[in-house]
Amino acid sequence: MTSASLAQPIPRVSLNWLLVAQALVIVPFSLHIPVSLIVLWLACTFWRIQIFRMRVRMPGNWVKSGLLVGTAGGIYLARGSLVGLDAGAALLIAAFILKMLEMQTRRDALVLIFLGFFCVAVGYLFEDALLWGLFTLLPIATLLAGLIGLQQSTLSNKPAGTLMLAAKLLLQAVPLMLLLFLFFPRLDPLWSLPQPSNKALTGLSDSMAPGDIAELSKSAALVFRASFAGPIPPRNQQYWRGLTLEQFDGRRWSQSSRAQVPDAPDWRKEGVKLSYSIVMEPTGKPWLMTLDVGETDLAGVRQMSDFRWQRRRPVEQSVLYSVNSWPDAVRETVLSDGSRMQDLQLPAKGNPEAREWAADMHRRYPKPDALVDGVLSYFTEQPFHYTLKPPVLGANSIDDFLFGSRAGFCAHYAGAMTFVLRAAGIPARVVAGYQGGELNPGGNYISVRQFDAHAWVEYWQAGVGWRSADPTAAVAPARIEQGLEQALSADEDFLADSPMSALRYRHLAWLNSIRLSWDNLNYGWQRWVLGYQGQQQLQVLGRWFSGFQAPVFAGAALVILGLLALWLFKPWRRESDSQLRLFNAFERLLARHGLRRQQGEGARAFASRAARRFPAHAEAIEGFAREFEAQRYAGVSGSVGQLRRRLKNLRRSLPWRLSAVKDKQP
Amino acid sequence: MGRKLDACLNAINEVVLGKEPQVRLAMACLLGGGHLLIEDLPGMGKTTLSHTLARVLGLSFQRIQFTSDLLPGDILGTSIFDRETGQFTFHPGPIFAELVLADEINRATPKSQSALLEAMEEGQVTIEGATRLLPNPFFVIATQNPFSQGGTFALPESQLDRFLMRLSLGYPARSAEKALLLGESRRELLPRIEPIIDHTELAALQAQARGVRASDALVDYVLRLVDATRNQPQFAYGLSPRASLAILSAARAWALLIGRDYVIPEDVQAILPAVIGHRLRERTDPTGHSGGALVQWLLREVPVL
Repeated sequence: MTSASLAQPIPRVSLNWLLVAQALVIVPFSLHIPVSLIVLWLACTFWRIQIFRMRVRMPGNWVKSGLLVGTAGGIYLARGSLVGLDAGAALLIAAFILKMLEMQTRRDALVLIFLGFFCVAVGYLFEDALLWGLFTLLPIATLLAGLIGLQQSTLSNKPAGTLMLAAKLLLQAVPLMLLLFLFFPRLDPLWSLPQPSNKALTGLSDSMAPGDIAELSKSAALVFRASFAGPIPPRNQQYWRGLTLEQFDGRRWSQSSRAQVPDAPDWRKEGVKLSYSIVMEPTGKPWLMTLDVGETDLAGVRQMSDFRWQRRRPVEQSVLYSVNSWPDAVRETVLSDGSRMQDLQLPAKGNPEAREWAADMHRRYPKPDALVDGVLSYFTEQPFHYTLKPPVLGANSIDDFLFGSRAGFCAHYAGAMTFVLRAAGIPARVVAGYQGGELNPGGNYISVRQFDAHAWVEYWQAGVGWRSADPTAAVAPARIEQGLEQALSADEDFLADSPMSALRYRHLAWLNSIRLSWDNLNYGWQRWVLGYQGQQQLQVLGRWFSGFQAPVFAGAALVILGLLALWLFKPWRRESDSQLRLFNAFERLLARHGLRRQQGEGARAFASRAARRFPAHAEAIEGFAREFEAQRYAGVSGSVGQLRRRLKNLRRSLPWRLSAVKDKQP
Repeated sequence: MGRKLDACLNAINEVVLGKEPQVRLAMACLLGGGHLLIEDLPGMGKTTLSHTLARVLGLSFQRIQFTSDLLPGDILGTSIFDRETGQFTFHPGPIFAELVLADEINRATPKSQSALLEAMEEGQVTIEGATRLLPNPFFVIATQNPFSQGGTFALPESQLDRFLMRLSLGYPARSAEKALLLGESRRELLPRIEPIIDHTELAALQAQARGVRASDALVDYVLRLVDATRNQPQFAYGLSPRASLAILSAARAWALLIGRDYVIPEDVQAILPAVIGHRLRERTDPTGHSGGALVQWLLREVPVL
């Protein structure tokens, strides 16, 4: 486009498509930007339409400056800053809205369109789900339609036609997109973007008061999905380890300071190996979930002293990693003094009854395993009750729970049991993580949600190492075997806070199957599209290309190049007739100089038009055309060589140009 | 020979002012051995053109004014009882002329129209059992007024097909009309025109036109044009083989008029509107006069090479 054409007004079709595109770009942002921006957008759109209908004028400079300052100030007030992802996105959208008001010429429209594309890309920072990805095709197509509408073409007054062409262009971009998707290296970002603040993340934290996990169980948010290479282990063995809580202050269990020090624990692989891969949703926390005892080769991740896997940076975007686990591994047969002290730690005072009972148990069962069994059978025999709404406990919470209320959630049981074991002199700790998960039969994977959050106990004995025990399994076996929903009594409503959650309607078979299929699709999207980066990409490419021999690879490249050449040169459309072939060359030569023959234009008419256009070369042009005409129509038996010579003459005086010149007269 | 043709054209152009393309087409039509249909308003010079053509080519000229009460006998002639000889003698009608101007052909009833059109096609007439040959050469120039349709019988497609070309003269250009107004009366000019070509020369020219070379590549172009009318959806029906023959013979005559002994696509394009405009109908408007737009479409879209 020349500068003159950039200053031309915007065609109506383009303006219409731009207004539609703006709506499509902004609507998904509506959750992330201040409400006032939506109001601003509606007002500006109305104003722009009125300008178009010539009811009002374009805003003057003062109005524009005022709007700009006012909007920026408003965003500053609403977000408390002008930097950061949230405020930045809001500013960008505000600019996108205000530019529409200012838009007068094609140049402005181009700026608006490119800004729109950028806004769509920024949207991916907030949302990268499958539906969103599909939705963004709409604003992209309409922006393209706006771009096409800006050009002066036969389509410029056909809105549907421009959209069709835009869709066609998008479709044509698919092969290139696939190629780039497959082969383009994913570079680590040069700077890290903070998570959008309003994307509140629920999940395990590094400390646990008795009510915390019950709170988590109200959420149906997805934590991770796992696919197993072999058969999926039974549900009662799916204990997904997150972290251990070793420090007790009488009420709250928290991560010990020792656990922060990187110190790979000592363990021995034993028994069968489970291989699986996990796509973890963003948690904002650095730890990754594994089955005991896991091992992963993900970069930037290491095993900590309590067997948890910790990432250098928190999980801010979904992560795909593969794990090998040995559930029967022997863990730390020798415990260091520091660890022993930590895992026997108890507050100095409090819970006297529990301490006394522990001492009594220790006298009755001198062996740790026996003592653990004793505690578990205490939970089974006494009228303990599994509930999401336990009664409030007093200062001696363990005493109150064990001998008073006897009603609690997994955190109560795990905490109380760890306390008792420690009081009896057995090193023990609480493990926080997830238990079970929902099997998706279509995709053969497990989805673990927040309500699968769980806490259980790990205790240590000399020579044997760490072992796990789950008091909740003793109280409410249904929780372990079937899940939370089955374990709750009838008066406690599962997912009471989210009545719309499809998970509540699992008893409706058709709804459930739709939900599972949709979940499966999303999982595929996460695993194969979003997760396709870094090592995953290298692995896939390696799998594809490692088996190839170099000659095969070269051959394939040649075939691809050949197909490309076929497609570009279209030899089947090459004339078998040598006269016509030379004439086509003649035409191409002139086309390079901006003169195209019309479909219905004969050789003579075309040549005389060309001669008028290039008077300096008229003789060569008409010489060729005369010779062509004589051979083709007059039956003069001239040789092809003669014709070729004429063409060569013309080429000499009118050399081939690399870039074709636009035909000014159609 | 070529010089004589040019002289003919010049002579006609001196009488019919500012209508060179139409004159040339009309000439090509006669050289191609076809009949001509002129569609225009009264007073545009249809008769003058016909008459001048007849004079220049040295042809005998007859004019038949078609009216609704015209009978076939009025065209072909009738036998009348001769009291002296006691026999029926045939009185030939106006059709027995070398150039017949059938004025306002659509005013006559179909019966009379078909009498003329059969004569045109066959080159002979059969009256009361006796077949009589029409003179050779034999041309018909029919005219019709496309704008006043009241009480007319429009020529059906089958009849239209018999005309090699359909022309419209149109208003003269300003300068031509000025020259017309300032110049002598056309009627006085006409008798002074000397024939330039005699019958043998005309026959030779027609033979020469038939001999103009149409190469394979050119015939392919004609076939592409015809195919397009048969396959494209906007055409109500395709062109007949008679139409393809017409295109080719008109193009040959056109090339001869230009002085070339071979046909090039530009010749075909020059005569195409006149030759097939009246043979085409748009699908959406099968009775209307939409042929012109369709011909333009053909000229634009059908690949020449």
